[in-house]
Amino acid sequence: MMRRAQPWLGTLVEVSIADALPEAALRRAFAAAFDALALVQRAMSFHDPASDVSRLNRADPGQVLTVDPHTWRVLDLARAVAEVSDGIFNIACAPRLVEWACLPAPAAIHPAYDPATEVLRCEGDAAGALVRKLAPGWVDLGGIAKGYAVDLALAALAAAGVTGACVNAGGDLRVLGPADWPVTVRDPRAPNRAGLALTLRGEAMASSADYFSARRHAGRHVGALIDGRSGAPAPRGAGVSVRAASCAVADALTKVVAASGDPRHPALTSMGATAFII
Amino acid sequence: MRYLQAIPLAACALCAPAFATQYLNAEQAQKLMFPDATAFREQNLTLDAAQMRQVETLAALPARSVNWRVVGAYRGETPLGFVVFDEVVGKFELISYAVALEPDASVRQIEVLVYRESHGGEIRTPAWRRQFAGKSAQGGGLTVGDGIANISGATLSCTHLTDGVRRIAAIGRVALKK
Repeated sequence: MMRRAQPWLGTLVEVSIADALPEAALRRAFAAAFDALALVQRAMSFHDPASDVSRLNRADPGQVLTVDPHTWRVLDLARAVAEVSDGIFNIACAPRLVEWACLPAPAAIHPAYDPATEVLRCEGDAAGALVRKLAPGWVDLGGIAKGYAVDLALAALAAAGVTGACVNAGGDLRVLGPADWPVTVRDPRAPNRAGLALTLRGEAMASSADYFSARRHAGRHVGALIDGRSGAPAPRGAGVSVRAASCAVADALTKVVAASGDPRHPALTSMGATAFII
Repeated sequence: MRYLQAIPLAACALCAPAFATQYLNAEQAQKLMFPDATAFREQNLTLDAAQMRQVETLAALPARSVNWRVVGAYRGETPLGFVVFDEVVGKFELISYAVALEPDASVRQIEVLVYRESHGGEIRTPAWRRQFAGKSAQGGGLTVGDGIANISGATLSCTHLTDGVRRIAAIGRVALKK
């Protein structure tokens, strides 16, 4: 097993390759995986003023922007998750995260978060990759892009000839191949300890909790988890894990389960996922 | 006698890292980041007061240390760049890492060497950290590839690491740039 880790997407991303490949092939495979992560960071970072996300946040209503096809796919998936979760998942709640100092303000004029307003819409298909800004507002892909980056990195490993691998972006992970991969889930009450151990095979798992992001703002507890229907912080304390075929779906659905408190939320079934809360 | 032997064992159990993985040792990291290099030479840095101030201005962070462990990568006599080794301490994690710099001091690559967490606040105590001391980060009973398979949980931010990389990029510009 060869493992490497680099900082991407604001967290540590660990790539493990189980295949006994020649050194040069191994190096190429790792490079392909880390390149995929770099691409997602470049296109979808809220912090980078040159990213697609920042360009969309600065765009005026009515403007149509060409984005990276991967950004288009993530925005399209975000819309699908918003639909099946009746708006619990909403990438447009970034103004709240800025208000709570979880994210830096991307522009001087701070839009209000309105759950009912559609801020942007994907047009055409991923190849054209057009996105229309519909209303003033900011989007943040922090709740889904990390999972998508894991998927993309794993696909890059497979394309490089790897048959057994795991990509873990700070807790959002996906495994490739016929082997069982042991995974330890942090105990939300003592995050440095194992709360649960399980195995994954050819699937993804993402977890969400507020023990690393929680802070007090204006006298109340806030964190990176938000209920998109109200814009209020999700209930505190629970550790939510979702298993799904893709890590992008698993990542997004953790927010739905965390905000609803429901590990059997209908959005899970409609996206072929399961969840548990510890 | 038996009692005496038990003491270091008990002490070790108390200070054992909660989660720990060694990814690369220093030699592996420098070879990986400069695959064309034929030689690596120690070029450790000692910053003077003026350089410390320049680093702080460039990085907008405290320069933190006067001494920095630097290795120059060469192909024959041609300098290919530098590798700077450092470690950062978070709330409960300690990360050893290496930053490869181009000859113009721009960041070429970052590799984590060792990642470890503690159960409690002991991460900041010298005794806990000493168990991992060693120039190639091979202490602490960790060998390459060791560690638990995978951890899932809330996303751990790596702000300390990205700050560390920014500081090293500034040091490169102040003291290493050709």
